[in-house]
Amino acid sequence: MTTELPGFQRYQLAFTARLRDPHNQPSLAGVSGKRMAVYEEIVFNNLFESVSACFPVASKVLGKRKWLKLNQAFIRDYSASSPLFRKIPEQFLQFLNNTDPELQALLPPYLNSLCHYEWIELFVASSPDSAKPNDIEPEGDLGNSKPVFAPTMQLLNYDYAVHKISPQHKPKQPESTQLLVFLSADDQVKFIQLNPVTYRLISLLQNAPLTSIQALTLVAKELQHPQPESIIEFGLSILEDLQSQGVIIGTHY
Amino acid sequence: MATISQIQGSGLGLKRELIPQIQSLYGQQPLANINFVEIAPENWISAGSKATKQLDWIVERYPVVCHGLCLSLGGLSPLNVAFLQQVKTFLHQYQIPIYTEHLSYCTDGFKGEQGYLYDLLPIPFTEEAVHYVAQRIRQTQDILGQRIGVENASFYVAAPISEMSELEFINAVITEADCLLHLDINNIYVNSVNFGFDPHAFLHGIPGDRIIYSHMAGHYEQTPNLLVDTHGENVIDPVWALLEDAYQLFGTFPTLLERDNNIPPLLEIMHEINKIAAYQDKVERRFIASEQLAAMD
Repeated sequence: MTTELPGFQRYQLAFTARLRDPHNQPSLAGVSGKRMAVYEEIVFNNLFESVSACFPVASKVLGKRKWLKLNQAFIRDYSASSPLFRKIPEQFLQFLNNTDPELQALLPPYLNSLCHYEWIELFVASSPDSAKPNDIEPEGDLGNSKPVFAPTMQLLNYDYAVHKISPQHKPKQPESTQLLVFLSADDQVKFIQLNPVTYRLISLLQNAPLTSIQALTLVAKELQHPQPESIIEFGLSILEDLQSQGVIIGTHY
Repeated sequence: MATISQIQGSGLGLKRELIPQIQSLYGQQPLANINFVEIAPENWISAGSKATKQLDWIVERYPVVCHGLCLSLGGLSPLNVAFLQQVKTFLHQYQIPIYTEHLSYCTDGFKGEQGYLYDLLPIPFTEEAVHYVAQRIRQTQDILGQRIGVENASFYVAAPISEMSELEFINAVITEADCLLHLDINNIYVNSVNFGFDPHAFLHGIPGDRIIYSHMAGHYEQTPNLLVDTHGENVIDPVWALLEDAYQLFGTFPTLLERDNNIPPLLEIMHEINKIAAYQDKVERRFIASEQLAAMD
């Protein structure tokens, strides 16, 4: 197929192949290796810095050598589809989620979750300035209506306690972890740890046309709780708290 | 909100980290020579609400031009039309009258995708490449409904398959694409050292009537015959001399300072922007004086 390409494009392909994999691809005939090294370095360093800036914990947990190798594999194997520099970390995540088993076996099982957790902060920080819906009541009756969540809110469910990971604290086993992240009114990214019941409640309220009390009644039923009223009471106090933190911005109608 | 005629004098390549300083000194004498600012659409498209607020602030106060990084005019993958549509919307939304891009490429079509490498790679200077790049510039101009400017890029590797000089390549592309020239003075100098040619002779060969605006910047000297275009140092004297030569040859044109790395405080950057304004002033006064002399004859 490449023989059909014009000469300048065949040259460009050899050029970028070398940038993607300087250790294995042949050098270009008639091109100074020293000069070529300038491009090899700037292309790699540029991507490496963008990726490393987004994943400070993952890079430390993995260690210098492995992190470097992983980034080399990213440039070698992944075809980035976004022209926006801000999206380089997101593409790195996609690469991680599709790595071949051989490479995956060398990485800790919690790495993808940890990277997702580190990336979501950047993602939420660059969410568009979505206008608040018109049909909301900022001080509505939380119990008897459907709460409206901040448009930037993301519910996160991980198999590992990603928020506790550090080079000193590498998880030895899975630990189901639920988090909520959103952009506050003053443009700060905020994380809140949730218990599984609150996580279930918020998912229900997000996805089903239920009022808070209806959703809590359903949660109590799922739990086979002997006193549904106590779940409702507990749940409403949590929703009030979320409202005071700006996660709930009002109610429908 | 700006029109092309408002892009004048001296300007600044906007970096987000400089915005707080611009905001606190806005309207004061030290910033008087920031007549317009330049942004890269890649850094501001869907950048979030904080960035949007900052951009709104800038656009209300300064004429803005857009200088793209990732359109990949010489790239192997098809032109990213979806992205170009985003750029078009962005230009309209903020009433930005000028869009320029580099005469380079940053995509290789790897695995059937765009394959962005996020750097400015050198296009081999061949006849086929002229037609290919010119066609993509025309396609860009058709989609945007306006002419674009293309910038002479800095580079470090000369393609052994090149059939013409950089100057011939630039002229051929601009003629065939009927586009404008975004003249980077520092890039002329960087390439003149990297490939051993006379930068002033180069300047004499460019199509001066196509200049839309220009860039000044510093570079890093890796070895005496290899300069790297880092935008991380002060502008050196030979580059200032080239700017003066260009003004003398073609008349003054809007010129801005790019500082992307190793960024000093804004007031320090202003020294170089003030210097651009001083060169413009000097050459304009010289023109006026010579016209007055001619009128007296």
